[in-house]
Amino acid sequence: MLTLTEKDISNLEKLKNKAILITGGSGFIGTWLIQLLIWLNDKYHFNVKLYLIARHATGALDTFIDSRQDIIFIQDDIRNIREFPKDIVYIIHAASSPDNRIYMSNPIESMNIITDGTKNTMENALLLEKLEKIVHLSSGQIYGTLDSHNITENDFGKLNCNSITAIYPEAKRYAETLVNAYRSLHKLPIVQVRPFSFIGPFMSLNKPWAINSFIRDVLKTKNIRILGNGKPIRSYMYPTDMALWILNMLANGKNGAAYNLGSDMGISLEEVALKIKNIVGSSVSIETLNMNDDCSEFVPNIDYARRELGLDIAVHIDDALLKSIQWFEKNLV
Amino acid sequence: MIHKINLYDVTLRDGSHAISHQLSISQVDEYTKAIDTTGVYAIEVGHGNGLGASSVLVGQSQLSDEILIKTAKNNLQHTKLGIHVIPGFATIKKDIEKALSWGVDIVRVASHCTEADITERHLGYVREKGKEAYGLLMMSHMASPEILLDEAIKMQTYGAEAIVILDSAGSYLPDDVKARITLLSQNLNVPVGFHAHNNLGLGISNSLVAIEAGAQIIDGATKGFGAGAGNAQMEVLAAVLQKMNYKTNVDLYRLLDVADLVEKDLIKEPITISSLSIVSAIAGVFSGFSKHVKRIAKEFNVDPRDIFMELGKQKVVAGQEDTIIDIALKLQKRI
Amino acid sequence: MKFKVAILGTGNIGTDLLIKISRSPYLQCTLFAGRNLSSKGMLKAMSLGITLSDRGIDAILENPECCDLVFDATSASSHKIHAPILKQLNKIVIDLTPAKLGLFTIPAVNLDEALKYDNLNMITCGGQASIPIAYAISKVVSSIEYIELVSTIASKSAGPGTRANIDEYIETTEKALSHFTGAQNVKVIINLNPAQPSIDMNTTIYLKINNPDMDLISSEIKKMVVIIQSYVPGYFLALEPVYDNGLVILSIKVQGLGDYLPKYAGNLDIINSAAIALAEEFAKNKEVCL
Repeated sequence: MLTLTEKDISNLEKLKNKAILITGGSGFIGTWLIQLLIWLNDKYHFNVKLYLIARHATGALDTFIDSRQDIIFIQDDIRNIREFPKDIVYIIHAASSPDNRIYMSNPIESMNIITDGTKNTMENALLLEKLEKIVHLSSGQIYGTLDSHNITENDFGKLNCNSITAIYPEAKRYAETLVNAYRSLHKLPIVQVRPFSFIGPFMSLNKPWAINSFIRDVLKTKNIRILGNGKPIRSYMYPTDMALWILNMLANGKNGAAYNLGSDMGISLEEVALKIKNIVGSSVSIETLNMNDDCSEFVPNIDYARRELGLDIAVHIDDALLKSIQWFEKNLV
Repeated sequence: MIHKINLYDVTLRDGSHAISHQLSISQVDEYTKAIDTTGVYAIEVGHGNGLGASSVLVGQSQLSDEILIKTAKNNLQHTKLGIHVIPGFATIKKDIEKALSWGVDIVRVASHCTEADITERHLGYVREKGKEAYGLLMMSHMASPEILLDEAIKMQTYGAEAIVILDSAGSYLPDDVKARITLLSQNLNVPVGFHAHNNLGLGISNSLVAIEAGAQIIDGATKGFGAGAGNAQMEVLAAVLQKMNYKTNVDLYRLLDVADLVEKDLIKEPITISSLSIVSAIAGVFSGFSKHVKRIAKEFNVDPRDIFMELGKQKVVAGQEDTIIDIALKLQKRI
Repeated sequence: MKFKVAILGTGNIGTDLLIKISRSPYLQCTLFAGRNLSSKGMLKAMSLGITLSDRGIDAILENPECCDLVFDATSASSHKIHAPILKQLNKIVIDLTPAKLGLFTIPAVNLDEALKYDNLNMITCGGQASIPIAYAISKVVSSIEYIELVSTIASKSAGPGTRANIDEYIETTEKALSHFTGAQNVKVIINLNPAQPSIDMNTTIYLKINNPDMDLISSEIKKMVVIIQSYVPGYFLALEPVYDNGLVILSIKVQGLGDYLPKYAGNLDIINSAAIALAEEFAKNKEVCL
């Protein structure tokens, strides 16, 4: 699945023999974290005990849960679960869905999962005697709109809370602030992680992001439709990097720090389409419809994580796209 | 930056209202053959209320959706084929799935202007199947620009690749159009479209205002052939846009030939602004109600204008044609 | 002694059921089970002195004696998990979710049949409102060529669950309509209207019948309306049957009782009222058996 260097392994030493809880275990991030931890257990004898909390076990998880002793699945709603198993040392709080459609159709429940879910997680964490670190998965969207080429952890832009597009980012900002309050008052050890954009296996192509639409278009119709002018700049991290980074932030992240999670290699949507075309073949056509003037950029600056945690991007965009398309070709219905 | 304006032809769908959904195969065949040479962006075909809407409530269609769509598809080489779909009338399993298999390119999923979240699954389904999906907000005069934006954002999030706002009652004044299209154009990432009705004689000018405010898709019908007082008259619009140096890709002469064809073979009487159309616009009621109101008013011997005003008071939405008979009865009792 | 019933699902539907049960001379709510003790429904139930649990179906598993009948007001996916468990425990289940695993039940139509089953569902709001009327008509005419149901409900009464399941609503109602009337050619349409003040649920029924005896049909309809009113007090004939252009046309309105849900939620109220009527029938039947 991935090649880990000796340094990668030694960086994660602290996690050996510990019990780790992942809330929102059935999401994209959760799924990849589980895969990495299982890999570490199997290949490198990490002996991590993995607790997962999710409302439902998805297909991908089902196969792991029943067959493995090192995974304990707790089916519950993160807002309601009354207590966490006492042996938990690390928590990765990933419970919330960045599927914008749910935020549009069910805004109150969606916000509630983030706000009440985070509160309940913190309250339960307070009672864990062995707790060493909590990673709170926030979102790169909390930065709001910025005129920036790459967004550092201190760059804050505009967020119009009188718009339904604010529902997810505002809830996440509130969650970050709440989590900090627990750090401040109760000294909970917190690391804020702000994910940007990803592409890889197990992603649902129905989520309305350009790159997902391109891949789906190309596999269904061999014609990629770019709605705008192709100029917006994005970046995409492959999930093996994502999972490795998160575990590093968990093991070694500084208490109270915030880290961006993503690739800093900005690439225009036009270029993304071209790369996809190069992978799939010459029979693919690209249609640029020029229906809007959007030239926005959503690319993180990841120097802080590089410097402080010695992390870097292992899978670059061409490879990420290749691996992703190969997987989707096999698994897309 | 001057964008290209995409002219979207609703003659064979909105026009269906004008002839009580009695389009014939030869009419569809002839029209689509001709329109394919003109350069319009897309043509929409179907019952006036869209896919799966043939019913007692809004009128039964002479031709099935399947025949309408397949006949049109057969003749279209250069023009995209679109359909109108209202969740609540049509379902994915019964209707949309089949329509896609018959060669539809664009599915325009429409809801009442405040109820966009009922379109989530339908828009998602169309996108999953690799086809183009638009989100439509009907009776959009009934929502403020801010509410309309929220609903448009929802549809955009669900996968709509364009959002079209409809002046289903033909009641917009130019400033109403400007406020809405401006707000949407500035805040959406997908193109915005406008669908005019001519009840107050403002079909063309409202469409122009929309374009100036940022709209890139404009619905029109040849000879205005549409519900009530008809839509923006497409060939007139094309001529105006040509004069104003907008790019539409349309060959004006060919479009005028199509207009002549429509005059000869499709419409029995020219689309004009009738008194009833004016009243329905003032009342803010869906233009498609006209034929039903006229018929029922005659049957129950009441003034159709009174029916429209009462419908407006009750703020009925498209699909509530069943209230017409109820109102007629009550009015009859009062006399 | 009152018939013991449990409610699974403590949202608005479950809470509204609870209040209706507290008025019933036949039913007693012995358990109100959900997932979150601090939800509004739970707090309401607590104020009524009802036994609460946040352990969901486990609360019934651990204490099967607590009830004979269970109302499941959770979700379709949860009900699919609950159904086999409750069957094992020999409980009668009234399913208020869109799961629709059991028998389509309309109290005014097939109450006797329902008593023989252990999983019953209330179809849809439009179904409960209109199918009994269509059924009554089908009994006095030789055949019905076509039936069309058009329901309009207030936007405020349609939550995210309803909005995400419009297709299922249409398909389920059509299926049930054909089942109860024998008419194969049917169509169901649903509209949401945001007008304020919120409108009552309105359903118009169009039936294509040859040479209908309107007097007979009208009287059958009126009889059926009375039966339905016995368990849905807010149900009334808004448009008396007329014969227009080959069609029998009539309209029904449902105004909710306002127990827990607001009055404009007639669509939810009719389902809950039907569910209560059904449970009461089981209760009465049990007494008879004893």
